[in-house]
Amino acid sequence: MKDSKAGIEEILDDVLQSYPAKSMKNRKEHILVKDRNKSELKIKANTRTIPGIITNRGCAYAGCRGVVLGPLKDVVQIVHGPIGCSYYAWGMRRHQGLAAEGGKNFINYTFSTDMQDSDVVFGGERKLKEAIKEAVEIFNPSTIMITATCPVGLIGDDINSIAKQAEEEYGITVMAFNCEGYKGVSQSAGHHIANNEIMDNLVGIKDKELDYKYPINLMGEYNIGGDAFEIERILHKIGYDVVASFSGNGTADQIKYSHEADLNLVQCHRSINYIAEMFEEKYGIPWLKVNFLGVDATIESLRNMAEYFADPELQERTEKVIAEELAQIEAPLNRYKELFTGKTAFLFVGGSRAHHYQNVFKRIGIETVVAGYEFGHRDDYEGREVIPDIEMTADDRNIPELEVTKDDKKYRLRISQAKKEELQQKMPLDYYGGMIKEMEDGSVAIDDLNHHEQIKLTEALKPDIYCSGIKDKYTSHKMGIFSKQLHSYDYSGPYAGFKGHLQFAEDIAAGILNPSWSYITPPWKEKTTLEGSFGGGE
Amino acid sequence: MSELKKLNVNPCKMCMPIGAAIAFKGIENSMLLMHGSQGCSTYMRRHMSTHYEEPIDIASSSIDEQGTVYGGEDNLKQGLKNLIELYSPGVIGIVTTCLAETIGEDIRRIVADFKQNNELGSLALVTVSTPGYGGSQFEGYYLSLRRIVEQLVEEPAHKTKKINLIAPNISPAEIRELKRILELFKLDYTILPDIAQTLAAPYTADYSKIPAGGTRLRSIKKMGEAAATIELGALVDSSLSAAAYLEDKFAVPVYRLPLPIGLKNSDLLINILAEISGREIPAVLKEERGRLIDTMIDSHKYNGQGRAALFGDPEIVYAVSSLCQENGVKTILMATGSNIATFNNKLREITAANREQSLILNDTDFEEIRNYISEYKINLMLGNSDGAFIEEKDGIPLLRIGFPIHDRVGAARQQNIGYQGTNTLLDRITNQLLALKHDNFRENLYQKYYQPLSKSIAAESFTEQSFQTAELSVGDQ
Ligand code: SF4
Ligand code: SF4
Repeated sequence: MKDSKAGIEEILDDVLQSYPAKSMKNRKEHILVKDRNKSELKIKANTRTIPGIITNRGCAYAGCRGVVLGPLKDVVQIVHGPIGCSYYAWGMRRHQGLAAEGGKNFINYTFSTDMQDSDVVFGGERKLKEAIKEAVEIFNPSTIMITATCPVGLIGDDINSIAKQAEEEYGITVMAFNCEGYKGVSQSAGHHIANNEIMDNLVGIKDKELDYKYPINLMGEYNIGGDAFEIERILHKIGYDVVASFSGNGTADQIKYSHEADLNLVQCHRSINYIAEMFEEKYGIPWLKVNFLGVDATIESLRNMAEYFADPELQERTEKVIAEELAQIEAPLNRYKELFTGKTAFLFVGGSRAHHYQNVFKRIGIETVVAGYEFGHRDDYEGREVIPDIEMTADDRNIPELEVTKDDKKYRLRISQAKKEELQQKMPLDYYGGMIKEMEDGSVAIDDLNHHEQIKLTEALKPDIYCSGIKDKYTSHKMGIFSKQLHSYDYSGPYAGFKGHLQFAEDIAAGILNPSWSYITPPWKEKTTLEGSFGGGE
Repeated sequence: MSELKKLNVNPCKMCMPIGAAIAFKGIENSMLLMHGSQGCSTYMRRHMSTHYEEPIDIASSSIDEQGTVYGGEDNLKQGLKNLIELYSPGVIGIVTTCLAETIGEDIRRIVADFKQNNELGSLALVTVSTPGYGGSQFEGYYLSLRRIVEQLVEEPAHKTKKINLIAPNISPAEIRELKRILELFKLDYTILPDIAQTLAAPYTADYSKIPAGGTRLRSIKKMGEAAATIELGALVDSSLSAAAYLEDKFAVPVYRLPLPIGLKNSDLLINILAEISGREIPAVLKEERGRLIDTMIDSHKYNGQGRAALFGDPEIVYAVSSLCQENGVKTILMATGSNIATFNNKLREITAANREQSLILNDTDFEEIRNYISEYKINLMLGNSDGAFIEEKDGIPLLRIGFPIHDRVGAARQQNIGYQGTNTLLDRITNQLLALKHDNFRENLYQKYYQPLSKSIAAESFTEQSFQTAELSVGDQ
């Protein structure tokens, strides 16, 4: 790393200096410098955002409606609340979805009860009932999901019993999610609420005979920019069958019989780990932490899967596919690596990508100097082993824990306890190790980054690439630094799997090598003599 | 929504606070704090960033579940402290979202209390109550301007020749055009809000956390001294009107005008400026006007083929419909998702003389708009990018104008006002119609002339449908 490394503690002090005392103390605990020699690397996460700082976090409703439920294609999602929340969640995440033959696809739609003053005063239950009726009459979906926004819980509309009634009346699945935006401290609360409700009322409500040899569920993959298309391509090529996806390119109908799978693959641990765990309790299906972002991680994930199924033929095919795919991308990837070596990246994304993209960058020669999550928990940073130590806050307690028990009829132990323990020595089966272990010494982990910290850290560490979302993208541009959105991929993708990695490298090259950068000079670089005159370059 | 329809399918409106955010972004050295749960401000930042391609930094008081029970007062005060410490703004706008309003937060009182207990120096705080369920971005925008004026303008010591211009929600480039025109008349003016730079900041070597530009607090304070206020907004209710307040309170005369899009609407503005300034219309504007008319004449042959649907912000729909009328583009459908009392009547007035009656939809959604678009054989949509799914599904081209534009770049650089802007917009419309014609010309010829001939069908083929297509091509030659 550059000379900036030596002074990293001073840099962080400087970042914290500007806060009023109370806020400084709070923020200090959310920042950590990786140091292999320290026995404990503890970071504070999933706690309340400080008012008035400009956070990147969203609300529980966004985590529920936007993240987990949004990509489900065959669902009419009625947002019960005022218009804004529904409007803003419409089509913004770039999750892609192809309707199956004859299947319905509502991905281009957003539905709202458009609450008015009078509804807030007198209650919006009648309106919601009528909205459901209209939705059934016009769109005839097999599943309706109702999500609540802030006012709903406060005025006491009972969306759960309305859902129940509607289910009986129309003979379709109608679910209600109490994901009011004020719950919890970020989107994360919404993931949890969505997980609970899906597990409780959707998974396992239908049985289906599947003629699949290696049936799997894909979890925590949202098909941003078509990532799931690339992942499914590889999986099919090897011989896996995806029973259901939670939820990129997925359908509620498939989730209904997803208990028929033999293994759950978990991509984003944060948003879906609750379901993965409950699946094991209830149906005896273990979960494997995978990562399809980056070729090295993809290869490792594929090998782990093959070993789990313990079929030599499958293992052989896995190797064959790996070799075939690698052959197509290795040479160009290596060239990009030469080109990028020495460059550094600043990652601030969601609850898993700040980790996953580190290996994507590493493979092409780019070192990550700062990485942080917007709504991760301590286990996403430090690994699941810290879960017993995480203190429950009032905000956590407000989200009900769902107790699941073994489903006597549908439970089937997929692998023996002994076998599982053996595999756990080799692979992250029912386990996630978190982000920090894989970071380089001297790099910074930061939780719930805000605008002020983005600027200060960027100025001090001078990364070549800033990866986040649309809200800080333009700040990065104004500071003269190339940015790559890792939420929505700036209209590009897929970046997952083999082909995706190459696509990513190409996009990075197209970005940082673009001639437009030569017309500007970041403030810390020497001021050129041409400054002030027109048409000047470096 | 119409009384009968309870399900809004793909909204053609946003909520109040995003309108407030745009208004406050046009005040110099200002920051905005949304009192409520943090999701709203995050969503709005995202939407505005995509449109303007600029950082949009809006703070939130991040009320949590506990706050919904005990109130969000502490959060709001702590939020203000942090914001002041980190950004040292000159003005802070404090607006509410649904959550704060539902739990009954009294921001005026909380902020008054905060002012009393903190040394704020010259910092000005403005509060606006903008529940998302209380209206759309349109009301949020104008209401915020009114509150800014109500809470900041001081009793005038004397009168000046300065004029106030209350700007509508238009692009930064359009604000710059308004300024150019005002300067051509050598007028001294205060434009509120002024997003010319704040939402279209030039790249500079030093990034500043609050972008330069915006209406000066000093100038706002003196708006009561002005000789006149021009408010651009034909549909603005007086309860939302900053100009109406200045008139009632300080007897500043008001000129209410539509957005200067189209020849007639631009003339209205220019004539009034000439009147107020007591000057001749500058030669350069006359020249621009002449050039616009020249374009109108040259392009009229093609424009007559347009069957347009206009949707989005009510003021833009109103003004652009006038441009369409002047050029023979049929305004078949005009729609807004906002609920504006005067929308139907005002639009009815300007379209009354049309051969084909226009369909005017107030308080509607895109599902309804889409249904009519196919029913009425619309061949051109003019509106914000939320109509993109119709373009995608039904193949009707969408000319993206107004707010928001999410799927194309350059929204902040669009310039559709005055004679020059109108000229550009008119060219875009005409070109779209030409493209349509070129794309379909051979096929239409084949279907209309060759096929019937080859099948030697005579009278039967003269159905309702072919009659309509025949009528469409009037002015074709
Ligand atoms: S409608 Fe209300 S709750 Fe929803 S985004 Fe707008 S202000 Fe927030
Ligand atoms: S915080 Fe509440 S009101 Fe705001 S977007 Fe989220 S659910 Fe809607």
